[in-house]
Amino acid sequence: MEVTANATVSVDDARRRQRAKERLYVLCQTLGWSLFTVMELASTLAMPNFDNDRSRSDQLSALIMMVTMGLLMTHFFRLLMARWSWKQMNWRFLAPRILLAAVVGSLLWNGLGCAYTRGLLREAWSPKYSFPLLFLISWFYGFTLMAAWLCLYFFYHLFERLNRSEIERFQLMTSVKEAELRALKSQVNPHFIFNSLNSLRALIGEDPARARQAVTQLANLLRYSLQSGQLETVPFEDELRVVNDYLALEQVRHEERLRLRLDVAPDTLQLPVPPMLLQTLVENAIKYGISPRPEGGEIAIVARREGSVLRLQVTNPGEMAPNGGSSSTGVGLQNAAERLRLIFGAGASLRLRSDAPARVVAEAVIPLSAGA
Amino acid sequence: MKVLLIDDERLARNELRRLLEAFPTLKVAGEAANAKQAREQMAALKPDLLFLDVQMPGETGMDLLESLAPPAPQVIFTTAYDEFAVKAFELNALDYLLKPVDPARLAAAIGRLSARLPGAPAVNGAAPDLRGQLAAGDKVFVREGDRCWFVELGQIRLLESEGNYTRVHFGDAQPQLFRSLNAMEERLDPKFFFRANRRQIINLSWISGIEPWFSGGLLVLLKGGEKVEISRRQAQEFRDRMSL
Repeated sequence: MEVTANATVSVDDARRRQRAKERLYVLCQTLGWSLFTVMELASTLAMPNFDNDRSRSDQLSALIMMVTMGLLMTHFFRLLMARWSWKQMNWRFLAPRILLAAVVGSLLWNGLGCAYTRGLLREAWSPKYSFPLLFLISWFYGFTLMAAWLCLYFFYHLFERLNRSEIERFQLMTSVKEAELRALKSQVNPHFIFNSLNSLRALIGEDPARARQAVTQLANLLRYSLQSGQLETVPFEDELRVVNDYLALEQVRHEERLRLRLDVAPDTLQLPVPPMLLQTLVENAIKYGISPRPEGGEIAIVARREGSVLRLQVTNPGEMAPNGGSSSTGVGLQNAAERLRLIFGAGASLRLRSDAPARVVAEAVIPLSAGA
Repeated sequence: MKVLLIDDERLARNELRRLLEAFPTLKVAGEAANAKQAREQMAALKPDLLFLDVQMPGETGMDLLESLAPPAPQVIFTTAYDEFAVKAFELNALDYLLKPVDPARLAAAIGRLSARLPGAPAVNGAAPDLRGQLAAGDKVFVREGDRCWFVELGQIRLLESEGNYTRVHFGDAQPQLFRSLNAMEERLDPKFFFRANRRQIINLSWISGIEPWFSGGLLVLLKGGEKVEISRRQAQEFRDRMSL
């Protein structure tokens, strides 16, 4: 089982946000260019003699051409900017690019506009103004519009990004708190404690020395699980010591039904691990691998340092829960996976898989560089 | 009274055995570590009382009870910590002990058991013949979801066939029993229970009214509000029985 529940939720969320943004974009484009059209029309009507040698229909046709071109070009900008990931840039890199885009965009816009009016509409050149001057004025006008469009576009994204990172920060804080709370709640399995106490009671008469030892082991485990809620990581050695105490207690209960195999590389002992991680994996292995089968089985713990990661494997007999373990299997491991991710980031992982028939391996991968 | 201890942990069985030494009327006849062993031991030893762990590898204590042919044995449950099980017991005022077992609570549970059983502490007569007829005071174990009941046969108004299972109506509940209606019929006392039709058996002591029905049949009203048709074929026998 790969723990993906949260990821699925956020993907859905992201998709919904994307659709909302798409709608907003279409709305803004439509409104903006409509406003532009209305203003242009109004100014043309207000200044009838500015170029009175053009017919009204030609003026209208030129305006429609200009608006369509503007719309298409800004839309094209958006696609290019997405491809060149301008949205992720900061202002120092973005500002010259916006200027350049506006310069080139306006040139293209005006060039095509002129070609359209002169070429297709075959308008005569009005001698009142020189062509370069008129083109320069028109270009500057286009440049302002383009630059304004781009600035608006990026202002919106900057604002949205700030907003979202704030929300994400809060979400992370909340999930850290939740994970802490759950960790505190779930660390001590009451069923285990009371069964152990019951076995201890019997052991006092049967084997007093072993009983004294078991009391100490239970005390170690309880103390560790209560204290570890406050620590982000502990040396693997500490965790392993407590897991050994826990397994000794489980062996008091299960006797020959629980067999152990430990294979821990010495160079892993000082590496930082989240407290109760291995403990959770081992507890899970006993709960689903040993407890349900009358004949019991073997639990194997393997710890290896592999390059820049620590790899922990806990193997138990059993089958994977059908359909990815949405059942109670998930809860303990899901908490552990979440804690692992919060502390060590995306490089950390926790997976449950079946590597052989009737055998399940829980594997945690912990990056060594980050976190500690 | 012969006792069978059922718990997957040897130490837990030992502890219980030691605690039971204080009760001379109880004799621990055997132990079982899982449901399969328990069934074998029950057949061999015919115990009067089970101490039964709820959580066991493979089949749980509840699964074991459900698999047994009625009547249900006398049971005191033991559990370490199981909210569901404890809730289920409380609903039915069944006896359960929390591990580690408090000797005072154990004494109270055994005291209640002796009071509940008719006659002397050496009760339940000889263990009932497994194929014999069930008495009205005998109990069956039924379960639905998290709830479970030890219900006296006398409290059951109606048994309805549902394939290989039988739905039993009593109180406000109608859970399923893991036996077929035909298998139940063989064991039920004909003085109280009557096969009304192919699908239903009624408890005669819960009848509140009888009406004539189509084509020579009868409609029987039960005190729980259920209405049961008696087929024409069975109606004559029913009249004979009721006029007795």
